[in-house]
Amino acid sequence: MSDVVLEVENLTRRFGPVIANDGVDLRVRAGEVVGLLGHNGAGKTTLVSQIVGLLKPDAGAIRVAGVDAVADPATARRCVALQTQSQAPMDGLTPRTAIEVAGRLRGMSKAAVAAAARTLAEDLDLHEWLDRRALPDGRGLSGGVRRLTAFAMAAVAPVPLIVLDEPTNDVDAARRRRLWDIVRRLGDEGAGVLLVTHNVVEAERVVDELVVLDHGKVVAAGSPSRLRGTGDHALRLELWLHPDGADPSDPSGALPIPVARRVRVGRRVLLTLGSADAEAAVAWAATLRESRRIEEYTLGPATLEDVYLAVTAEAAAGATTAGATTAAAATDAADIPERTARV
Amino acid sequence: MSEATVVATPTRVPRAVPPRTGLWTTYATLLRWTMAQIGAILPLIILIQALLAAGIIVGFGFLIGDVNSPAAQFLSTGTPTVLLMVIGLVMVPQGVAQARTSGTFTYQRALPVPRPLLLLADLTVWLVVALPGIPVAVFVAWLRYDLSYSFDWPLLVAASVLTAVVATAVGYAVAVLLPPLLAQLASQVLVFFVMLFSPITFPESQLPDWFRAVHDVLPFRPAADLLRAGLVSGGQGANWQDLAVLTVWCLLGLTISVRALVRRS
Repeated sequence: MSDVVLEVENLTRRFGPVIANDGVDLRVRAGEVVGLLGHNGAGKTTLVSQIVGLLKPDAGAIRVAGVDAVADPATARRCVALQTQSQAPMDGLTPRTAIEVAGRLRGMSKAAVAAAARTLAEDLDLHEWLDRRALPDGRGLSGGVRRLTAFAMAAVAPVPLIVLDEPTNDVDAARRRRLWDIVRRLGDEGAGVLLVTHNVVEAERVVDELVVLDHGKVVAAGSPSRLRGTGDHALRLELWLHPDGADPSDPSGALPIPVARRVRVGRRVLLTLGSADAEAAVAWAATLRESRRIEEYTLGPATLEDVYLAVTAEAAAGATTAGATTAAAATDAADIPERTARV
Repeated sequence: MSEATVVATPTRVPRAVPPRTGLWTTYATLLRWTMAQIGAILPLIILIQALLAAGIIVGFGFLIGDVNSPAAQFLSTGTPTVLLMVIGLVMVPQGVAQARTSGTFTYQRALPVPRPLLLLADLTVWLVVALPGIPVAVFVAWLRYDLSYSFDWPLLVAASVLTAVVATAVGYAVAVLLPPLLAQLASQVLVFFVMLFSPITFPESQLPDWFRAVHDVLPFRPAADLLRAGLVSGGQGANWQDLAVLTVWCLLGLTISVRALVRRS
């Protein structure tokens, strides 16, 4: 028996002249958490909509737990639990009843679903709100509690594939951690998890594999360490330019240190370098700051964010130049939380 | 990697395709879900129906002036139909339009349930919401005109349910056919048409011939006549042609609604 629970092959979907998914290939195996990354409009939601039978592909194949999701979407939907990006409809329900309703629709017995709801509420630290009713217009329960409830509704029943679309929006830091622990556990219990997000830093912590989508195309795929590519000892030097200030790292040939990758996002310039060059890099950046050519700089371990920004910027620019990539303001850096400390 | 290192590999046995949940369990669960969403506003809706009934029965009475007994009876026996149509053609499209805008419609379509059951649960809840309008209207008319009714219970129940289903199904179809904003606008136009241009609260004889012919194929006049026959028996009873027209509209509304729920764009 194959361990693949989601197989997407050469999936193409157009909306008029716009190609939302352009020959997408994707695979999620049992026990695996796969992150699907991409900016707004990259085609992530279109892909998910086709998996659950809301949209029909123009070309390509989707198999969920061996079921042809294009030919038999109803059976495929039984194999997928989806947490949508929009809130789940739960006005008039308490989180407990909402979770129980979701489990009952998947054929769980009343006793089993009640026990599962209690466990999930405990694990997500939701019990304070478990019996509080959600009211119309966002009253009664906060957005974060509603989001956690929607996550629990997707996670309550054992299904081959769980698709989570931005599950941590509105959720506080402590409960985010709990949620990621459960995502990891769902994978360990045998489910395949497709995690749709634009939050690279969070995804890096939990995923086994990553697929980066840009303008409907897969622009990078692989494990986080493979995608980082530069080895676990690579560093990232981040320069914050003055508004309208010149980029001192341009052209990259003039740099005093060897740079594996260079990405510019608005006022930020991200340089990936080897750990042996750390001292020289700090000295160079300090000089730049003293001479007021840059505002700030940080040095930290290279992250997936650098790779993500590089591959999406490459796709936006359409070309790379001599190992360095430049694409100004092509990405929404505000979506990506900071990880390294400002020096 | 040293030989002593142990790597915990994730489970590689995929879960099997889950079995289909029983239709009754699915329907009952969906009903519980939908009812919870509307339940909180149910008393408010019944109050609005009472006010609307009073508005039609008392207010139209002022408009007409000297209301004689047959006109009062016509007005009063037409009011339940107006209330059912208002729920079906105004509240249902607005509810569905809101569900489409908020993402609820999409969420429900992604659930592992036969999609026609989503419509069935919605229809059931709207019936529960709409049907109290009939006793409310009868009560208001009795208070105002002291009318005496002679109920044909089987016909009254059948006509009420059929009219409520027609109104709800057509309202649902309007909401899934048109973009949300347009659906809300259309529902406003429809309510004016039902209240002012349909022979529900006034006799058909007051309309020009061509407009009468139009109303022979629209659901409003047939629904009103059927309900009236159930409220004041001893008239002509049920007209089979009216029943056929309502059935066709009902099937049309249901077909369009189910198609919108089932089809993938």
